[in-house]
Amino acid sequence: MATSTQPPVPLAKPSGLRRRVSKLIEPLILLAPPGLWLLLLLVAPTLLILELSLIPGFRLGQSAGGYGLGNYLQIFQAVYLPVIWRSLLFAFGATFSSLILGFPVAYWIAVMAPARWRNLLLVAFVLPLWTSSLLRAYAWIAILRPSGVLNFLLGAIGLPSQDLLNRPPAVFIGMAYSFLPYMVLILYASLEKLDKRLLEAAADLGATPQQTFWKVTVPQTMPGIAAACLLVFISSLGDFVVPELLGGAASMTVSRLIYNQFLGATLNWGFGSSLSMILILGVSVAIALLIKYGDRDGATLT
Amino acid sequence: MPPTNPSNSRSSLNLQSFAARQSSLTRRRFLQASAAAVSGVVVSNCARNLTDPKLSGKASESDSKTLQIYGWVNYTDESLLKDFETKTGIKVTVDTYDSNEAMFAKMQAGGGNAYSIIYPTDYMVTQMTDLKMLVALDPSRLKGIEGLKDKWKNPIYDRRNGHSVPVAWGTTGLTYDPEKFGGTIKGWADLWDGKDSLTRRVTLINDVREVMGATLLALGHSLNTENPKHIKEAYDKLVKFKPAIAAFLTNGWEEQLASGDVLVSMAYSTDALTLMREQPNLRYVIPETGSSLWTDTVAIPKTAPNVDAAYEWINYMLSAETAAKVVERLKFATPNQIAFDKLPKSIKSNQNLFPSSAVIDQCEGIAPVAPKISDTFDRYWTQLTSA
Repeated sequence: MATSTQPPVPLAKPSGLRRRVSKLIEPLILLAPPGLWLLLLLVAPTLLILELSLIPGFRLGQSAGGYGLGNYLQIFQAVYLPVIWRSLLFAFGATFSSLILGFPVAYWIAVMAPARWRNLLLVAFVLPLWTSSLLRAYAWIAILRPSGVLNFLLGAIGLPSQDLLNRPPAVFIGMAYSFLPYMVLILYASLEKLDKRLLEAAADLGATPQQTFWKVTVPQTMPGIAAACLLVFISSLGDFVVPELLGGAASMTVSRLIYNQFLGATLNWGFGSSLSMILILGVSVAIALLIKYGDRDGATLT
Repeated sequence: MPPTNPSNSRSSLNLQSFAARQSSLTRRRFLQASAAAVSGVVVSNCARNLTDPKLSGKASESDSKTLQIYGWVNYTDESLLKDFETKTGIKVTVDTYDSNEAMFAKMQAGGGNAYSIIYPTDYMVTQMTDLKMLVALDPSRLKGIEGLKDKWKNPIYDRRNGHSVPVAWGTTGLTYDPEKFGGTIKGWADLWDGKDSLTRRVTLINDVREVMGATLLALGHSLNTENPKHIKEAYDKLVKFKPAIAAFLTNGWEEQLASGDVLVSMAYSTDALTLMREQPNLRYVIPETGSSLWTDTVAIPKTAPNVDAAYEWINYMLSAETAAKVVERLKFATPNQIAFDKLPKSIKSNQNLFPSSAVIDQCEGIAPVAPKISDTFDRYWTQLTSA
């Protein structure tokens, strides 16, 4: 609006100018609130962390030294690599288990269940999310411990008891349970749009149910599968409640390591920040790859 | 105790909204939206340490009739606050934290400007005093400080109680059921010798200084040693003991111990004694080689908006009647001699709550160590919890 009051305005096309100004202003008004939100709560803190990560050995309450890459080099010390490896393993395990468990459920709700039940079924699936994740982890302790609910049930039907708690399988179970609703919700949204005429056509043309599933259903829902897996993967990468409570004595993950640097005895915020930046970077790269390749595959195959 | 993970609630919101919108979007848009939502969750999750929503805005609003306390969860209860309000007319609200470092980080980052009273533990008092974060207490305004036991009149962490007043103390020990364990435990040696029959049956506190400290004491070194050789020795001992460790849990071991899935749990005396009120068959033992002895204090941060009310609270905690009542109700040991004398005999003679001076002399407080040593501890801890 300030530009329109300036004197050297060419009088030839006033309506064109106004259109151009409103073309600039409208998106500005629409984008300002979320833009401000992103800037204050996302970009600014991330930049702050980036700055801290570049000050080697920055500690809360102590004078800082100059800039350098020391914090990043520290990550590649032999002590920390197993931690990163374990985090990735837990996240992959959780993603894989919830995909295996979630796909049939989402398929059933979206394709086979009566339409009037669908919303109810979805709500029922999301319901566990309303309780605290900490409480759910504690519940899994009660179920999985050697004399817990699971082994009581196994014993009652004559099966050998399982020693799962305080070992990696307990983490996979706990995480898969935590993130299953996300998986199901996104897969449902994707499967709901499944073109059923294509399924019928495939059957007409002599495809077996397996062939139809792998060659028609899965490619059509690939973007949904990719998005759901990515979401679960990233959420489980950031989770440390479940590994901590269910994973036993060898359950140090990157997120817990970051927590220890920020709120543990060392208060080494510099190192904690560099770990955070690496985590953010890894996640961003995964997302970028997915947008670039995941999308094209989905588009060409359908 | 690990705090609840905020990412869950947040991502569920994002997810439902974009799942609902999804049908109207193209695939590319959908992926972009989910990517944005996802990175938002991750980044905001990491960044929340620095951007706490509870900022200083509240501080200016508080008037002389309100007092905001930031403390541990088990030191206040409803009737304690009510009683204070009827006596002084000051309304109290309490927020809690679960680690000194979390409190320290929040105060340091300016997120705790509304609080006039905090409850730092001994070593944290030293650290915060060094950084000039605590108000130097005016002795003429403290009533009843002479009632403290001699041990707390001039503590090492805060000479002459210049910046803090001790309100509670305790030890770190081993909790177990003698019947299920099949014998009595005197110290760490009993666990180390029997580790072959204890595979994944022991939980230790999830704190590097407590676990390494107990091992250092058992090896005959100081809890606060700055000798890297001693620290390495303690680490090696713990690695050998590793197969017996089920998990590192500060909370969450109670049920596993009660059911017998875990045979021994290392725990703070307050937590162990609380559990023993429900499970009288359990025993709490301070290892014969000693343990850490901790003192929780009340202090006034420099940023306190209501210093007068803070002094009222300190004097209230110092009064022998209040202290005695609180000990009976909330079961923690008081450093107040007059309050101790007022307690019923059954509590006074409780060796777990008030161990004999011979036992106390074996114990040592955890003190801050140099950053380099602190890093050494942390590196061994990372190795121990990921091997």
